[in-house]
Amino acid sequence: MQIQPSDLGLIARVAGLGKRYGDGAGTVTALDDVSLGLRRGEFTAIMGPSGSGKSTLMHIMAGLDSPTSGRAWLGDTEITELSDSALTVLRRRRVGFVFQSFNLVPTLDVRANVMLPFELDGRATTIEERAWIDELVATLGLTARLRHRPHELSGGQQQRVAIARALATRPDLVFADEPTGNLDSRTGREVLGLLAAASASAGQSIAMVTHDPIAASHADRILFLADGRIVRDAPRSTPEEISAFMLSMESAA
Amino acid sequence: MMRSRFRDQVPTLLVATLAGTFGAFLLQVIGLLEAVISADDVAGSSGTVALMLAIVATVFIVIAVYVSAIVTANTVSTVVAGRTRLIALLRLIGSSARAQRAEIAREGLVIGLAGAALGILLGSGLAFALERVAVATGTIPEVGFDYVTPSVLLPAAAVVLTTWLASWVGSRRVLRVRPIEAIGNANEAARDELVARRGRHGVALAFVIVGALLLALGVVVGLASPLGVFIGLVGGILSFTGIVLAAHVVMPPVLRLVGRVLGGSPAARLAAENAVRNPERSSRTTIGLVIGVTLVTTFSVTMQSYRELLLAAAADRPGMEQAIDEPLTITISIFTVLIGFSAVIAAIGMVNTLSLSVLQRTRELGLLRALGFDRAQLRLMIVAESAALTVAATLTGLVLGFAYGWAGAQALLGSIQGEPRLVVPAVPWAVFGVILVAAALLTIAASVAPARRAMRVSPVVALAVD
Ligand SMILES: Nc1ncnc2c1ncn2[C@@H]1O[C@H](COP(=O)(O)OP(=O)(O)OP(=O)(O)O)[C@@H](O)[C@H]1O
Ligand SMILES: [Mg+2]
Repeated sequence: MQIQPSDLGLIARVAGLGKRYGDGAGTVTALDDVSLGLRRGEFTAIMGPSGSGKSTLMHIMAGLDSPTSGRAWLGDTEITELSDSALTVLRRRRVGFVFQSFNLVPTLDVRANVMLPFELDGRATTIEERAWIDELVATLGLTARLRHRPHELSGGQQQRVAIARALATRPDLVFADEPTGNLDSRTGREVLGLLAAASASAGQSIAMVTHDPIAASHADRILFLADGRIVRDAPRSTPEEISAFMLSMESAA
Repeated sequence: MMRSRFRDQVPTLLVATLAGTFGAFLLQVIGLLEAVISADDVAGSSGTVALMLAIVATVFIVIAVYVSAIVTANTVSTVVAGRTRLIALLRLIGSSARAQRAEIAREGLVIGLAGAALGILLGSGLAFALERVAVATGTIPEVGFDYVTPSVLLPAAAVVLTTWLASWVGSRRVLRVRPIEAIGNANEAARDELVARRGRHGVALAFVIVGALLLALGVVVGLASPLGVFIGLVGGILSFTGIVLAAHVVMPPVLRLVGRVLGGSPAARLAAENAVRNPERSSRTTIGLVIGVTLVTTFSVTMQSYRELLLAAAADRPGMEQAIDEPLTITISIFTVLIGFSAVIAAIGMVNTLSLSVLQRTRELGLLRALGFDRAQLRLMIVAESAALTVAATLTGLVLGFAYGWAGAQALLGSIQGEPRLVVPAVPWAVFGVILVAAALLTIAASVAPARRAMRVSPVVALAVD
């Protein structure tokens, strides 16, 4: 019997992952033999210099992009061999996303945006799910904003809507790519606090790309990428420790 | 940048070329007919016939140019909506809104010139081909018609002017783009798309009310004299202009109604929402088609009523009935085809705006893909959206056209038998059938390209920061 990722307490795993763009002399190696596992219920931060492959890694783990080599699992499902439509269903039911910008459908109001994953799935919410969504909306301070459209909200509020949407289906894993990149530092902290709280109190597994040491200090675990490789796998750290390591990475380069 | 600028204007060029081709073709054919008629002018009546032909051609060319102007203005608005980010960026680094707008109007002028030139070539070429066929089949004699006539410059000039003007009107939106939209997490739907336009509402309402009153007056006067139709015509133009101006108020309820018919699948629901939630966008997309269908319907209801009235009058004289019917049917058919061309321009405009607006929603579509919409659902959504827009536009056009057509028939024919009488509007079933089939084809045509493009959208684009 093969050992499944879940037997190891992992929610996602990649093995020998490689991603190259182009061929010949102009080849860019975005990921170079990356292997890692994300633990269930943990809040993992992914850091590294610009162009180190953070987004690429996240896209492949989320089934948005396919690797050139290697394999990836979400739970016990090997996603690298799934068809496009199977991946679509997987994203709909088992993955949540928060992006840096353009998170929301502009023509839909806040409520409809939060309900979008259910809508896309073509199913009604259960009583239990509705209670959870109400709770989310209240925690995120969006109750009074349900009928507003995205352009009527501030960036921080929009990002909170995106978080509510990402958490609404209680996905296996939430991916956030620089979710605070477009926000001022105070609003950014607030948004991060909300993500960290979702992980701590509801056991939500989260993987977040960030450049901000303070943001990363909310995480249970910090992975550092450089040139498409994982160069360090650190437990929860203080912002100072994180900055120090980032600086050492820069001077090494 | 210049190249991409002109690429999103290809639809505008297409519309200008079509209108130009239509104008040149009609004028050349009329010229040719004149030449043929005066070649064997026995009755000496060729002068009158020529005048009649010229009037008819002018009317149809004016209608086609009018429709293409509205379509162009809407296309340009859509293009501008898609360039909001770029315009905002240029504004941010110091370009003035007026300069930006002038730039777009200049593009309109260039496109109008190109379209008119192409139109002259294509239209004259088509007329020449028609002449060759007619001569070869012996329908008309060889008259040695000279295609190089200054008169084709008239419709060409009209096309240049209206494209230029329509670009100017359509680029109004540029003035409302704020530099701030270039930065931060600006959404694709800009705020101003949704801002209510009080002033426009007032004008539109006034137009509709005055127009409707005149229309009613036309019908009443029509009971005594056929001249009532001219009052009615003014009323019709006014009230219809009002409706066009208020399209973003008129269309959403219709779209909502049609959206309900689409069904409850997530793709259909989203499509229905898309069609309704951005009234500005959906009215831009549909109004051209509404105009086209209204024109065709108005025209054919009036003509059909006229025909049936004549036939009824001649019913007791058997030989007479047939003698009237054939030329009448041919004339009506030719006129319907000519006016139908405007509807075709409108339809092409709709295909264009829909494609553009899908193109502009790439990130939104990517977002839906990332959140779990599969390709088939995305395609279904685009097709459903296209269907909702087409059906809504066609229905509105049919209803309006029927009302106008009846008013026209009543005003024109109410006194024709010496005493005031009520004209029963005749239903041109054949034309309605053609319209419905065309609408179905249009739905498909309008969604094929955008759906294919939408299906190619990678979910990754939604995550990318541009
Ligand atoms: N579509 C693409 N075509 C070619 N190269 C690409 C493509 N996408 C990414 N790359 C390259 O792959 C490498 C990794 O990109 P990636 O977006 O993962 O970096 P990142 O760590 O997310 O950077 P940032 O912090 O700036 O977002 C970069 O060198 C980038 O230029
Ligand atoms: Mg990135």
